[in-house]
Amino acid sequence: MTGQVAAAGIAVDHVARWYGNVVAINDVSFTLNGGVTGLLGPNGAGKSTLLHMMSGFLRPSAGTVAIEGKAPWADPEIYRRIGLVPERESAYTFLTGREFVVASARLQKLPDPAAAAARAIGLVELESAADRAIGTYSKGMRQRVKVAASLVHDPAILLLDEPFNGMDPRQRLHMMELLRRLGSEGRTIVFSSHILEEVGRLAEQVLVIVAGRLAASGDFREIRRLMTDRPHTFTVRSSDDRRLASVLVAQPTIAGVALEDGMLTVRSNDFGAFSRTISGLARRAGVSLHELLPTDESLESVFSYLVRR
Amino acid sequence: MNLTVARLTLRQLLGRRRVLLLLLLAALLLAVAVIYRLTGSEGQRAEIFTSRLLSDFGLATLMPLVALLLGTATLGAEIEDGTAIYLLAKPISRATILFTKLAIAAVGSVLLTALPIFLAGAITGAGLDNGIALAFAVAAAVGSLIYCAIFVALSLVTGRALIFGLLYVLVWEGLLAGLFAGTRTFSVRQQSLAIADALTDAPARVLTAQLDLTTAIVIGGVLLVGATALAIRRLRRLEIAGETA
Repeated sequence: MTGQVAAAGIAVDHVARWYGNVVAINDVSFTLNGGVTGLLGPNGAGKSTLLHMMSGFLRPSAGTVAIEGKAPWADPEIYRRIGLVPERESAYTFLTGREFVVASARLQKLPDPAAAAARAIGLVELESAADRAIGTYSKGMRQRVKVAASLVHDPAILLLDEPFNGMDPRQRLHMMELLRRLGSEGRTIVFSSHILEEVGRLAEQVLVIVAGRLAASGDFREIRRLMTDRPHTFTVRSSDDRRLASVLVAQPTIAGVALEDGMLTVRSNDFGAFSRTISGLARRAGVSLHELLPTDESLESVFSYLVRR
Repeated sequence: MNLTVARLTLRQLLGRRRVLLLLLLAALLLAVAVIYRLTGSEGQRAEIFTSRLLSDFGLATLMPLVALLLGTATLGAEIEDGTAIYLLAKPISRATILFTKLAIAAVGSVLLTALPIFLAGAITGAGLDNGIALAFAVAAAVGSLIYCAIFVALSLVTGRALIFGLLYVLVWEGLLAGLFAGTRTFSVRQQSLAIADALTDAPARVLTAQLDLTTAIVIGGVLLVGATALAIRRLRRLEIAGETA
């Protein structure tokens, strides 16, 4: 389990997938070679569809997916190289955690299933509950036993669909540490998440999927900067909105100012500069700031901006 | 066959409530046989009763219901509840998975159908004469296998396999096969009856099949092979999407 493995490649080339008239994935291309990659996007963006195409459970409607040069669709041999952790919570609730992982080892035709299972259970720190029925597990424990089962054959590629769902903060940290270590050993780890912070803390590279399209890809810090530097809209309440508006409109970082229904709305191109200067500008103009609220901080609006960019 | 798949399938099947229902159904057949033994007559009337009981209750009711519930549970229910992915994401050919699942469903069906049919035939006291009990048991074993292949395939074609399976048993086999001779050819029940008839020395008034043995074997074989091939093809091309897509 701890041995170095050769870097494994995932190549997704102009892939599309549609269900009837609904387009789930639209012309997505990327290649991954080792390390931890986060698939980030709001719910329903197409992350699971993409993961299931990579894991051979969905056939691309157009384009190609290749795992180490081979199409995974309808090729069970690919599962010697892939470990898959599905999002769905279902499991064999009548089995104990150990029985489930040993069964996975046997299905992988490993020479010593019991030893492989013990190693995988140790990796996810589930030893103390390993001999209890999965039916009695918490959500987080079920996630961990699923990860153990997917790791039992020491795969070069690990695909995880929303792996942190239901985990408490300690389990989350431990899982992040585990995935980070597996990635540093040369494996290709891909996980999906709709939570920006999760992806930021774990992934070396990020693929942002919005409405079936690859909205952004690359280093997380770069994507974070893109997200931060997008135009931001704020509503401001002050002692003299009209005076403050006239001061702000002269600033180069302000893209627009509106005074409607007694409410001052400000649009800034530079989030950092705006937040640093607004209080000084107000003070110099003799205006007291009462309230400054961002109006479009939802993840969806951030993602929408990335798509429009 | 894959032993791990077989073990998992068996444990999953045994945990389902439907198996309890099937045991009750099999017990009911035995109970009717016991009651007849205690209260009914002997001789040819007993033979006719036994033949009717094994045909109408055994082959026409117990056999299709057991095969339907086990055949659709063995793979279709696992796809539905999401556990199938743990078998399918393994380096095992889909044909091996399918054959293993089919074997478990068929063995379970034979145990819950052929065995009670034989025992019921033996209990009435008339089933062992002329080999009626054994003939019906063998017919039930063959019929169960064909039914299971059909219902496993059906569960891979539609998410409503139980409903369509019931429609086949009730409408096609129960209604249409009685009205139109042509539809009998594709009735597993009629094929099983033909096998039972061929294996027993019972006179015509005790048991007469409406399908000749050759047709039953040829069409039954075609259904078995065709349904299995269809199921393998469907399983190989089975798509599983995520919850949120």
